[in-house]
Amino acid sequence: MLLSAKQDWLGNVRNDVLAGIVVALALVPEAIAFSIIAGVDPKVGLYASFAIAVIISIVGGRAGMISAATAATALLMVTLVKDHGLQYLLVATILAGVLQIVAGYLNLHKFMSFISKSVMTGFLNALAILIFMAQLPELTNVTWHVYALTAAGLGIIYLFPYVPKIGTLLPSPLVNIVVLTLVVYFFGIDVRTIGDMGDLPDTLPIFLWPDVPFNLETLSIVFPYSISIAIVGLLESLLTANVIDELTDTESDKKRECKGQGIANIGSGLIGGMAGCAMIGQSIINVKSGGRGRLSTMVAGVFLLILVVFLSDILSIVPMAALVAVMIMVSIGTFNWTSIKELKTNPVSASSVMVATVIVVVWTHNLAFGVFTGILIGSLFMAQRLSQYLLVESGYDEASDTRTYQVIGQVFFNSSDKFIGFFDFREAVDKVVIDVHRAHFWDITGVAALDKVVIKLRREGADVSIIGLNEASETLLDKFAVHDKPEEVEKIMGGH
Amino acid sequence: MTIMKNGLILAGVDGSELSGSVLDYAIWLSKKSAAPLKLLHTIEHSHHSEQVGHEGNLTPNIKEHLLDELSDEERLESKKLIADGKQILNEAKDKAEAAGLSDVIAKQRHGTLPEALLDLQSHLAMVVLGSKGRGHEGELHGLGAQLEDAIRVINKPVFITKSTFKEPKKVMFAYNGSPTSHKALNLLSNMALFKQGLEIHVVSVQKNLAAAQNLIEDAQSVLNAAGLDMIGQAITGEAVEALTHYQMVHDIDITVMGGFSHGKLHGFFFGSFTTQMLLESNTQFLLVR
Repeated sequence: MLLSAKQDWLGNVRNDVLAGIVVALALVPEAIAFSIIAGVDPKVGLYASFAIAVIISIVGGRAGMISAATAATALLMVTLVKDHGLQYLLVATILAGVLQIVAGYLNLHKFMSFISKSVMTGFLNALAILIFMAQLPELTNVTWHVYALTAAGLGIIYLFPYVPKIGTLLPSPLVNIVVLTLVVYFFGIDVRTIGDMGDLPDTLPIFLWPDVPFNLETLSIVFPYSISIAIVGLLESLLTANVIDELTDTESDKKRECKGQGIANIGSGLIGGMAGCAMIGQSIINVKSGGRGRLSTMVAGVFLLILVVFLSDILSIVPMAALVAVMIMVSIGTFNWTSIKELKTNPVSASSVMVATVIVVVWTHNLAFGVFTGILIGSLFMAQRLSQYLLVESGYDEASDTRTYQVIGQVFFNSSDKFIGFFDFREAVDKVVIDVHRAHFWDITGVAALDKVVIKLRREGADVSIIGLNEASETLLDKFAVHDKPEEVEKIMGGH
Repeated sequence: MTIMKNGLILAGVDGSELSGSVLDYAIWLSKKSAAPLKLLHTIEHSHHSEQVGHEGNLTPNIKEHLLDELSDEERLESKKLIADGKQILNEAKDKAEAAGLSDVIAKQRHGTLPEALLDLQSHLAMVVLGSKGRGHEGELHGLGAQLEDAIRVINKPVFITKSTFKEPKKVMFAYNGSPTSHKALNLLSNMALFKQGLEIHVVSVQKNLAAAQNLIEDAQSVLNAAGLDMIGQAITGEAVEALTHYQMVHDIDITVMGGFSHGKLHGFFFGSFTTQMLLESNTQFLLVR
């Protein structure tokens, strides 16, 4: 609707512009740091952040969310850049964008419902750990100056906001950068600076078609990377969208966001940028700074470009220690610290899902693997719990020598052994009645278990009859659509 | 069409200038069509956080802290909006009951008016709205910012009040043969309201008189079949001008017409006939989409 579009863009101009500037200032060090993670020149991450922020502000599905070059996606590119170079990264970026658009059209955002709270917490904790670990090369085999500078930087970042008046006006990560740069420059301290890490942008970005042979071999090189980037990018973007939805009590269009992320990545790849996605930390900073509309994201992207193009000379003398301090801050802010306390109070299943997600991510450096592991373990726990909802009551009628079993509950792959265990095959009776009208057979394993019971009982010489099989097997039909109707759900759940 | 038999008359009240007239017309419509009245007040969350800090740093558990801060801040504001709305609703309800209506429902919903209407529309027969809300207080002209969206989201007739209540006597139906005006004609011939002594004028403005005349005859046969009398008038010329002129000369109280039959983009580029009519007339409107 045009009305809401106008609201999205111009509903909050002053706050959006200010928040966008705050975000841009913090985006610069992050974009540079993530370029270093990926092993490319800082300008690749900076151009990417510009392109992604500006494009997503127009085509994204979540107003006020910040997208740019990110750690999550940068980590996936390391080997591609090392083995094949930047041009292949650009192709992988564009292809990842295409895959994300396809995912949008296929409504894959709906699969987010499989991601439990524990998996999300694991995802964020793992992301925080990876961001921190990526700073370690800057902190090993260096002089004490670097440690001192980093500690001072962190001190400024966390304490400057307590300074009266200006504390809440100036972004403390920026103050950290300015102060450390001045100290290093005037005292002539010999530490690594951003300029040592590769080219900074000195011109506006230009349209570039990646310089690679377009053949199947190229495709086979980049495709595995593209699919990882596409999945991780969408995961973090949708997760961040949920966080912003919650913070601002508004709703986002997830399908549009998927397609938007794709378009943004294609745009980034075409101007020589790397792939990115939504950034959880920056998006929170944006909301905290009052940013709510699309304008805030647009301003962040444009202001970032202006900053780096015109200040590239100054930027090149910023010590890496200042950057490392910012990234440690991002890591601390991304980590869910209460989740450590909750390890003791949460159910073991929830904690193990969270911890498994973290371990797999830190091990593989791929957030998607961690999420899949988390979902898998979580599903196993769920199946384990569901299988507890099974009970077989039995009664015996002496006159007719009939044993009656009444099955109540869920019969499926994980509960089928338990189901069989309820029957007494050693008992010699004339007739056995199995009443299953209050049971649900969810899969063919469950049905096979019933078959097995019937055959075993028949072998022992009993006449077996089953009551209520139609009701019991209704769940088998995989007609997911009917479960949306309250009366159908009532019918299935009615027995319990 | 059983359109009036099962649904509610919903009146959107917001305490603005036209809120009283919306209520009066809704009471009148509810009585005439024997449909229960529902009063709706929407609480719009256009909250702009005042407690912004540009620290730009990420502190431990920042998300949880920020969520607490923001929800505390908004909770106070929402509570106030709810209390204000309750008062508006209670006053309106008392007035409706004093006018002899029973079973008046008063509800508050969070969100914008179009959102609320979309959620509620299956229970509704008709919606009564003021042509402008609180945002246009004191303006002589101007249409409410949400009015067009509200009309577009629902497929129920919308009664729009433009001035204080005056017992309606004369209705003008603007008929141009379009699908939405057919719907309006249907409504006219089926609704109990129009069988209670209202004088019905059917006006057709076309490029040539014969075409206009034909439309009048069509309408005549439909309305006569429904047992309604009508006064027909075929006119050539510019539609908005001719219709508003007719309204004035014949002292029309309510204009019935199809509305917003074109897409929003069309209206954006070519101007919308409905918007034009709403702006330039002094009558109340019954729009059918």
